[in-house]
Amino acid sequence: MKEVMAIIRMNKINATKSALVDAGFPAFTANRVMGRGKKALDKELVKAIDSGAIDGADVLPMIARGPSLMPKRLISLIVPDNCVPDVVKTIMDTNKTGNPGDGKIFVMPILDVVRVRTGEAGITAVDEMSGKK
Amino acid sequence: MMIRAIVRPEKVEEVKAALLEAGYPAVTKMEVFGRGKQRGLKVGNVTYDELPKEMLMIVVQDYEKDVIVRTILENARTGEKGSYGDGKIFISPVEEVYTISSGLKEG
Repeated sequence: MKEVMAIIRMNKINATKSALVDAGFPAFTANRVMGRGKKALDKELVKAIDSGAIDGADVLPMIARGPSLMPKRLISLIVPDNCVPDVVKTIMDTNKTGNPGDGKIFVMPILDVVRVRTGEAGITAVDEMSGKK
Repeated sequence: MMIRAIVRPEKVEEVKAALLEAGYPAVTKMEVFGRGKQRGLKVGNVTYDELPKEMLMIVVQDYEKDVIVRTILENARTGEKGSYGDGKIFISPVEEVYTISSGLKEG
């Protein structure tokens, strides 16, 4: 089993939820988080300062503090190994706008899963995540 | 490699600034509540066993792990030798990373 963890835009959560249900992955955990990515500096801004178009002294202190954290949604799904490509594709298709800030998807190993209601462990505990509609 | 650090809320800004300084701007933070080995905090007769903390999540290449861990340790610690409640750092493997905006698999 694998955990697919994705950080996505706030306004994409509903579209992602319905797309995942449509793809046959109903189980889902979401969390509001704050985050920032690798884009620490605005390249356009740096270029403008270098060329003298704007006065660096005004903006540099703001840049030096680094980007502040942006509100994001973190979603997490535990799926069988063979479903990982489907889930990644579904999340990617729904959330891709092509702009920085669309988010990241992480895939991590999960050693065991236990369903609390019945106590069953292993792959049968995530049988609702088969990808079948 | 995913690094999840549970730190004191008041130390988050320091840790974030230090990570940026070290060249790691990307970080995700979430508010969490938890208790540790001391079973929370006891004030008089009242025990607080759900103490507010912040969880920082950073995903980096394996070889960058030590720098991050050291940066967090140095900046999240309180007092000379550190004290109870400073938090924990957990490290777990990440198998695949995708950037949604480009649709590309990283690494």
